[in-house]
Amino acid sequence: MEQTVRQKNSIRQDNPVLQKILRVVVFILLIALAAFTLIPFVWMVSSSLKLDREVFAYPMHWIPETFHWENYSLIWQKVPLLTYFKNTAFIAIVVTFLQTLTSSFAAYAFAKLEFRGRDTLFLCYIATIAVPWQAYMLPQFIMMRSMGLYDTLWAMVVLQAFSAFGVFLMRQFYRSIPTELCEAARLDGLSEYGIWARIMLPLSKAAIATLVIFTFVGTWNDFMGPMIYLTRDFNKTIQVGLRRFIQENSSDYHLIMAASLCSLLPVSIVFLFLQKYFIEGIATSGLKG
Amino acid sequence: MKQGEQKLARARMGRMERKKTLIAYSFLAPNFLGFAIFTLVPVVCAIALSLFEWNGGDISRLRFVGFENYATIFNVKKVSQNGLAYFFNRVDLGIALKNTVYYTVITVPLTIICALALALLLNKIRGAVVFRAVFFFPYVASMVAICVCWSFMLMKDGPINHFIMALGIDFNKSWTADTTMAMWSIILVSVWRNMGYYMVIYLAALQGVPKELMEAATVDGANKWKQFLHVTLPQLRPTTFFVSIMMIISCFKIYDVVAIMTEGGPGRSTKMLVTYIYDEAFTKVRYGQASAISMILLIIVLLVTIIQFRSEKKFSND
Amino acid sequence: MKKMLSVVLAAVMMLSLLAVPAMAEDQVLTVVTWDATTTPYLLAQKEAYEASHPGVKIEYVDVASQDYPIKATTMLEGKDTSDVFMVKEIDDIIKWQAQGFAEPLNAYVEKTGYDMSGFVGTEENYKVDGELYAVPFRSDFWVLYYNKDLFDAAGEPYPTNDMTWDQYADLAIKMTKDGVYGTHYHTWLSDVVNWTVADGENTLADRNYDDLLYYYNLYQKLEDAGACMAYSELKASGLHYSAAFANGNIAMMPMGYWYVSTLINYHKDGTCNFNWGIAAVPHADGVKAGSSFGNLTGAMINQASANKDLAWDYISWLGGEEGAAATASVGARPAYVSETVAAAMSSVEGFPTDETSKGALIPSFVGMEWPVAEKVADIKTIVNEEHSMIMAREITPEEGVAEMNERVAELFE
Repeated sequence: MEQTVRQKNSIRQDNPVLQKILRVVVFILLIALAAFTLIPFVWMVSSSLKLDREVFAYPMHWIPETFHWENYSLIWQKVPLLTYFKNTAFIAIVVTFLQTLTSSFAAYAFAKLEFRGRDTLFLCYIATIAVPWQAYMLPQFIMMRSMGLYDTLWAMVVLQAFSAFGVFLMRQFYRSIPTELCEAARLDGLSEYGIWARIMLPLSKAAIATLVIFTFVGTWNDFMGPMIYLTRDFNKTIQVGLRRFIQENSSDYHLIMAASLCSLLPVSIVFLFLQKYFIEGIATSGLKG
Repeated sequence: MKQGEQKLARARMGRMERKKTLIAYSFLAPNFLGFAIFTLVPVVCAIALSLFEWNGGDISRLRFVGFENYATIFNVKKVSQNGLAYFFNRVDLGIALKNTVYYTVITVPLTIICALALALLLNKIRGAVVFRAVFFFPYVASMVAICVCWSFMLMKDGPINHFIMALGIDFNKSWTADTTMAMWSIILVSVWRNMGYYMVIYLAALQGVPKELMEAATVDGANKWKQFLHVTLPQLRPTTFFVSIMMIISCFKIYDVVAIMTEGGPGRSTKMLVTYIYDEAFTKVRYGQASAISMILLIIVLLVTIIQFRSEKKFSND
Repeated sequence: MKKMLSVVLAAVMMLSLLAVPAMAEDQVLTVVTWDATTTPYLLAQKEAYEASHPGVKIEYVDVASQDYPIKATTMLEGKDTSDVFMVKEIDDIIKWQAQGFAEPLNAYVEKTGYDMSGFVGTEENYKVDGELYAVPFRSDFWVLYYNKDLFDAAGEPYPTNDMTWDQYADLAIKMTKDGVYGTHYHTWLSDVVNWTVADGENTLADRNYDDLLYYYNLYQKLEDAGACMAYSELKASGLHYSAAFANGNIAMMPMGYWYVSTLINYHKDGTCNFNWGIAAVPHADGVKAGSSFGNLTGAMINQASANKDLAWDYISWLGGEEGAAATASVGARPAYVSETVAAAMSSVEGFPTDETSKGALIPSFVGMEWPVAEKVADIKTIVNEEHSMIMAREITPEEGVAEMNERVAELFE
């Protein structure tokens, strides 16, 4: 009986020719979409090899007249880009570490524990995401200044490490993990901390990878925060530093493009490194559907 | 005797409850402390600020004005004379609200559909690693570089217009210089930039759909579409909840694309709530009014969130 | 993974600890400004001041020029103790004065007997209720740049210091051929319509904008004739005027005086090599030749500064004759006007040597780009919004000007 059902299915669904055609069509579609997505980057690369006035030459040229590879060494000489890289890396790494750790911890309470005021507190978290930073930037700035954090890299760390975003993201992932698992563990005598460490964390690798990527990218590309909080040159980050190529009476867009591409590299590496966690499916054997 | 037992049981329950709460708080504490000090307190200050007039300077210059800031941004006097149409066509707040809602209503579903489709396609396919990186790339790149490039592509004689003309549509103007298309250029760039981001969230969530469920669905004879509708989609509900709330919030807070590509123009055609807040706070240094506008934004987003939150609870209780 | 992370973390933390700045023994004056490392006059001023004031070091705090108003304001809000803040727009000093960040300067002027006659009245823009809050050190008015090579090739006479706008438009259309644009307008409001303030009567805050119509129509005539690049494309491409003119296919361009030093530098580093000159901007019928508009750059003392006397010494020097000479030595135009300064300006290496260019250095009248007026920030927003509609041809100039009149009137109801 079961076999006949499966056979019927395979006839309808697994028609090999149809499947193959479908796969090819999807593949072509993906390639087209990917090409479309990449066009601006091709333009960035081409612009980064041009002279400033060529960048905006109209109509646009995709291939530079001559390739100005020296732009890529110029950016390190014109501004202390290496310092900016170091600062940005410091902030991004510390923030990502703190954010991932504290969020996944807090999210467990929101997702799997019962306590009074849970929903209200959670709404509070979301509400703060909804307030535009421009609105509370000033009170925050005055407060941070009185704590002596102004113009220090730690200002950026404490500002971004405890955002509500991470808690929200992790809570949603934890919610999709069956509660039965936790209950079974509790019956086995595991403490809540044990459940978090031995069950939730290993099961949420993909979610953690996601959070790490987002936090890292977000911190890496943040502009407004560092612009307000970091003043002296040896404290600036890449995004703030990039602005130095746009000046009152001239702008070096070719250098901006070159520096932007360089700043893309570390983030891309983080992404490529972490995305393998999206492939490993979670082991759910022994669970009732 | 019986009463005493009940009391004892209740006390034990109470103690357990308290212990549970304490454990929960211990989980929350590390994040909550930082969050409360560095975000919650300033946000509460900002809420209070909407009831004050403050043009910067020493805090002693704060002047309590009640709801006057709200009356000003709604232009209550003129609107009560001329009606709602006046509010949405002439008053800055009305125009910004209209634009922001328009942008959000189109961008959110468009992005979610694209992100989900990409995630499903790239969940188990050869070469997925490369594709995922490609689609995530726009999110990683610096905003300035991207917007400059897109402005170029959307120019009068740019590649996109060439493509459109080849399709037989008569449009020969730079998108950002057209009152209708300026908004669409922002929608286009937003979707292009964010679909990879939300794709990653969906990809991560798809790893959480138990294989057994999928297999069970196949055995039951569900075809792919039905399997998606009845197995995958419900499993993704917490994620979709997250994605839609985050998207609505971030759409309501759209700023940087607008600031770089159109500066709110032409005219006021792409003026958004946060563009307006930014202008009030930093150009006109009316921090009280800027806070009041933020409160409007907060109330709208909060309402949407609570509605979604309710439906999430209802579904998960099913 | 985590172990690696913590190692990296520790290493980065060590590095950041090492980066403590060395203490200098000199007295240090911190000056908040923009583009500090690349702006020639800032470098020249620092050098000249430090040479004549041994024991004092100027330390610039560099802010990207676009972010300057918001960043500087936030620094002041946060009780930053930097001694001097440069004033980019007149708006800024009015704002900072109202917020109580700017040190009142009348007492210092009196104490040191500071002579302000060289400012020819421009310092009035920095006064609130008779009290001075900043000292001007740069005054940029608008001139007409032109590419001599293009005029030579076309056999047309160079622009003169006495041209009406109609004559200019005719010339621009004549010069337009073979890929050459007769003129160039940047996407700013000021390029197109600020000329109206050159008559000394109109301002952009006078609540009546009918006088802008003439300039909008003039612009649209030029755009229709292909004599300048279209606004919509310029806006979308973000082309910077400095690069546009340096490309060598633009015959004329009205622009602020600051562009002189940029052009001189471009010729030094080989970005461009055509001959150029400047002339007075055209004038409307019945307005004196050589009338223009401009804006001021100044410096103010931070109220939270601990070295106010030294700061005054610096900003009074900056605005005065010696500072002006340093500013002029690299092609920027100081606010302080005297014969020595004018001579210094025209003798800058790379400045055109013809008589017209020298004559254009002395405008007959300079109106302020934006006046100090009630609700001027709101008016600016409105005028700019309607301007962008007119320029993108979404509405006609008549409709746009009517909107400006109506919306600005509503502000004062």
